[in-house]
Amino acid sequence: MRKRLLIAASIAAVASIAPLAGQTKSAIPRLADGHPDLQGTYDLATLTPVERASGSPLVLTDEDARKGEQMAAARKVAGDVQLKGDRPAPPKGGDGSPGPAGNVGGYNSFWIDAGSQFTIVDGRKRASLVIDPPDGRVPQMTPQARQRIARNVRPTSDQTAREEDPGFEGNGAYDDPERRPLGERCLMGFGSTSGPPILPNYFYNNLHQIVQTKDSVLILTEMVHDARVVRMNAEHLPKNVTKWLGDSVGRWEGDTLVVDTTNFSEKTRFRGSSASLHVVERFTRVDAKNLLYRFTIEDSETWTRPWTGEYTWPITSELLYEYACHEGNYAMGNILRGARLKETDDAKKK
Amino acid sequence: MRTRILLSVAGVLAAMAPVVGHHAFGGEFDPNKPVLLKGPVLKVEWVNPHAWIHIEVTEADGSKKEWMVEGGTPNTLLRRGITRESLKPGTVLVIDGYQARDHTLLRANGRNVTYPDGRKLFLGSSGTGAPTDGADPTEAAKPGQRGRGGL
Repeated sequence: MRKRLLIAASIAAVASIAPLAGQTKSAIPRLADGHPDLQGTYDLATLTPVERASGSPLVLTDEDARKGEQMAAARKVAGDVQLKGDRPAPPKGGDGSPGPAGNVGGYNSFWIDAGSQFTIVDGRKRASLVIDPPDGRVPQMTPQARQRIARNVRPTSDQTAREEDPGFEGNGAYDDPERRPLGERCLMGFGSTSGPPILPNYFYNNLHQIVQTKDSVLILTEMVHDARVVRMNAEHLPKNVTKWLGDSVGRWEGDTLVVDTTNFSEKTRFRGSSASLHVVERFTRVDAKNLLYRFTIEDSETWTRPWTGEYTWPITSELLYEYACHEGNYAMGNILRGARLKETDDAKKK
Repeated sequence: MRTRILLSVAGVLAAMAPVVGHHAFGGEFDPNKPVLLKGPVLKVEWVNPHAWIHIEVTEADGSKKEWMVEGGTPNTLLRRGITRESLKPGTVLVIDGYQARDHTLLRANGRNVTYPDGRKLFLGSSGTGAPTDGADPTEAAKPGQRGRGGL
């Protein structure tokens, strides 16, 4: 009895000093220098979105998690269903598919490798990555940020044309290749898959690899082959030296790797952020198979307050492949060429 | 409250429902130019950001035209054990989609890519060389191994 109490007390003591719940000294792999070994390939695919609906809790009930995961599985089955070999061409005027599918239907689900589960943190499934603000919503943008973003967007010239062709983006979106998203241009992962902060893409190619030495940590993002080198125990570069992935310096806080990133290039626009963007990431190996990734965003020129998200990165035995992209990027030329022809057609109609 | 949570879950999934890639399908393809293409595979460009399947389509006048059909990233297929050997030239496909906005280009999105009997490409025991349907997790790579039909 005495012995059992002692064990319980010691477990409680370890748990209380551990930076994150569930972590014990013995459960995680370590390098010779005693620091946790974060190395490995991680699959970040998850059903958990960045934000959740207002008023809903962070933790999903077992029932809601099961239903959500069943819906995702059912959608995949529906995407695989056999069609008719003698089917007709799709409807003229578009198939009505929304969003990026652009009224033309995207492509088959067999290309997709999205998540099948909600992320699990502290043993519970989560409804959002955002944990702060507590409502799970990204904070409001500041008025100056809204003005800044509005200045970069040209007004839509012809709303009637937009209604006739809802898949076509307005606001001069195709005027210049540099107006196209970085992912579409094969420059960096789309959304914020390369980060920082590193977010899931909810479609495919969610693999990331960490390589670690005493002096630096490499974070490799498969798509679009983005390699970020974190310099350990170093000072930030001068403010005028900016980088596409920012300037990342790291330090250990107990068993957590803390990475501080500033000096973002203006070409990197994380959700409309400014040059003042400051990202702090916390990497904690919670056990042999999982890493908890937490990020805090500070940019007083863009958001009314800092915000924080977190999700679990499970280790995977799958291979991370090269993502050579430029030579085969016919889509980019097709998009710009199509826009020039549409402009010509629209001018003739006037 | 419960209803709202369920709605939020449904909302999340509904938002993800369209099967799309990361680029402007609506800018690339013309919703007023639907196409149904049928013919044998000539070759496949297994490239990022999108694979392209070339097929030979016989026109009404008997002439043969080479069309290119856009797909997704090959990396996910590689991880499922599908390789450049999995879709052999000569395999007949039926593809519905929309032509590029530049009509001089014989290019379309592969909205649905099936075999002549309507089965989706790379699913089921097709007998065309597709090694795995991706539905059985035991077919995925195990530690230290590569997936069935891998490199």
